[in-house]
Amino acid sequence: MGLGELLGTYGQNYLDGLLATWSMTAVSFVFVMVLAVLVTVARVSPVAPLRGLGELYVQVFRNIPGVALLILVAYALPQLRLVLPWRTCVIVTVVLLGSAFGSENFMSGINTIGAGQIEAARSIGLTFTQILRHIVIPQALRTTVLPMTNLLIAVMLTTALGSQVPMTPQELTGVVSYVNTRATGGILAFLVSALGYVLTAFVISLVGNRLDKRVRILR
Amino acid sequence: MAQESTTDKNVPVIELRHVDKHYGDLHVLRDVSLSVARGEVLVVIGPSGSGKSTMCRTINRLETIDSGEILIEGEPLPQEGRELARMRSELGMVFQQFNLFAHKTILENVTLGPREVLGQSKEEAEKYAMELLERVGVASQANKVPAQLSGGQQQRAAIARSLAMRPKAMMFDEPTSALDPEMINEVLDVMVELARGGMTMVVVTHEMNFARRVADRVVFMADGQIVEEGAPDEFFDHPKTQRARDFLDSIKGH
Repeated sequence: MGLGELLGTYGQNYLDGLLATWSMTAVSFVFVMVLAVLVTVARVSPVAPLRGLGELYVQVFRNIPGVALLILVAYALPQLRLVLPWRTCVIVTVVLLGSAFGSENFMSGINTIGAGQIEAARSIGLTFTQILRHIVIPQALRTTVLPMTNLLIAVMLTTALGSQVPMTPQELTGVVSYVNTRATGGILAFLVSALGYVLTAFVISLVGNRLDKRVRILR
Repeated sequence: MAQESTTDKNVPVIELRHVDKHYGDLHVLRDVSLSVARGEVLVVIGPSGSGKSTMCRTINRLETIDSGEILIEGEPLPQEGRELARMRSELGMVFQQFNLFAHKTILENVTLGPREVLGQSKEEAEKYAMELLERVGVASQANKVPAQLSGGQQQRAAIARSLAMRPKAMMFDEPTSALDPEMINEVLDVMVELARGGMTMVVVTHEMNFARRVADRVVFMADGQIVEEGAPDEFFDHPKTQRARDFLDSIKGH
């Protein structure tokens, strides 16, 4: 099957797959960032049990293979009478994994903020929450644009877990299985999807680089 | 009660009673007792490692203490939480490394406290901030970020940031030690003016001329203890202890 025939027959599937990948990536990344901030706040909080919980979260979800976690979410949660739509299962899995890595990025961002700034903030009477909101989180965000760009790409690639569940519409990797069970697309069927990932990643890193230059903190 | 203590001129603004602190085996503060009266400029000197910075930092509890008491206008320093934050907001602190907020402009650095802690409006906070920046001579830098300023300018901005909280007292922890020599005086000039304006000040410094010129009282610390204290002329010209004489000799001729 040549490229022309492949796209002629399955072009619409690939397009839908690309859109599904994009939308799952976008939704996942929003939750990844929110959860990463929350987990990181727990990890730096003055409440010891909260710190422990944050650490545990990161250690657990950073060290579980994506497929294993997906199986747990998709097939174990229903045992607890929690049945999620397939797409949601994939997004939940991606968010749990991604936010653990995101929190690690944030921690390294926080470590670049000098203890002196925190002391200065305390000295003018800011509370813990105010210091987080006005000093720590903004600086951590602005110093971690590049690692977060990488994370966004990783999140996108992890949505390929969607190929392991019967989602409709399928995302890019699922489309490949779909095509190859119906035709002999072979390696070409993979390459078309790969191109979708690569081009998207390219755009993400371009935007990430620009954003980084704009918000980078002078030191 | 708070009302009484703020109006009573005889209550020291800052008082330390028998303060002790250890870092592991190191006894960094030994039975330190000290009081600072309203409008007084207290200069703390001593060799490095003498505990003078630590002492300064215990006053707003950036360092905790093992035993003893610290009173601000007669009230014990709160241990933590909102009460501590409120008390800190009433004491200015200037650091060796300036510690300006790196991601905020100079103006934002100065207005953050008044807006967030004192609940001032943006306009109100900015108006006073610009007055203060004018006073310390960096008003033209208001919209730059700290990294774009010289060390001397950053330190003056940091002083303005503290003053914006209208503090009862200002602490200076070696404010000129990280500065290039040509920038030391611009910072000291601001401090001299503050002292003349009646600000209560605790200044940890190695600037002996400043101490002589501006201090009401000099405290000499060594090995975590207050070894000697007195009026600057008396201390510098006729130190009573051998430890102080040795220290003064060691820094002479520079």
